[in-house]
Amino acid sequence: MSTPAPIDVVEPDVSDLVDLDTPWVVLVWNDPINLMSYVTFVLQKLFGYSKEEATTLMLQVHHDGKAVVSTGSRTEAERDVFRLHEHGLWATMQQD
Amino acid sequence: MARFRPAVTADDGDTYTISLGPNERDLIRSVAEQLKELLVETDGPVLRRLFPPPYGDDDERNEGYAALARPELIENRLASLDVVIGSAEATTLDEDSMAAWMRSINDVRLVLGTVLDITDDSEEVEVDDSNVATYQAYEVLGMLLETIVAARSSRL
Repeated sequence: MSTPAPIDVVEPDVSDLVDLDTPWVVLVWNDPINLMSYVTFVLQKLFGYSKEEATTLMLQVHHDGKAVVSTGSRTEAERDVFRLHEHGLWATMQQD
Repeated sequence: MARFRPAVTADDGDTYTISLGPNERDLIRSVAEQLKELLVETDGPVLRRLFPPPYGDDDERNEGYAALARPELIENRLASLDVVIGSAEATTLDEDSMAAWMRSINDVRLVLGTVLDITDDSEEVEVDDSNVATYQAYEVLGMLLETIVAARSSRL
């Protein structure tokens, strides 16, 4: 049996991988124009939330100014943001 | 005794009944045509609520998103507005057409609300001769949108 020669192990730079693994969150922000009923309906329709869940999120947007409505990869977050923009909601995304 | 009849009601099947007068239908067609023109001809701040920047202060990423998303958002909005204009006289709408009405009327409200400078939940709009027509359209479309949302919610 031979003894493997010692080799220099170069630690891979994992910062990019960690970055990829960190989920993105999609936020909906309060605005004074969109109707509360409309925001609730859109959250139900796009994300499959129950009426109660969507109403809770809508009220969070209304009272706290914003709420997280979905999480995922950057691609998934961009898709959700796009669908919210299609419906006129003020949506942004950030990595938490 | 008279019974209030909503302007939009979900039928037993998968359609919706639209009970609107000629003035309301004229308004809907007119605002839809005006928004189409705005979307095709301008890039002004009055449309800013239709295209929010998704990445906060990150201009580079916002521009990257806009380059891809904005043309598609415009195309989808124009398609919905065409449905509205083409069905402004309809007394029955299917689900897809109703969805187009809902999105388009909301888009118009976002633009009218921007024109009226509605920026705060609690602040009352100061209505005078210069903006009364815009404000009335905003209110009428708001009530109509409420009934559309109620009718569509009953199907979820």
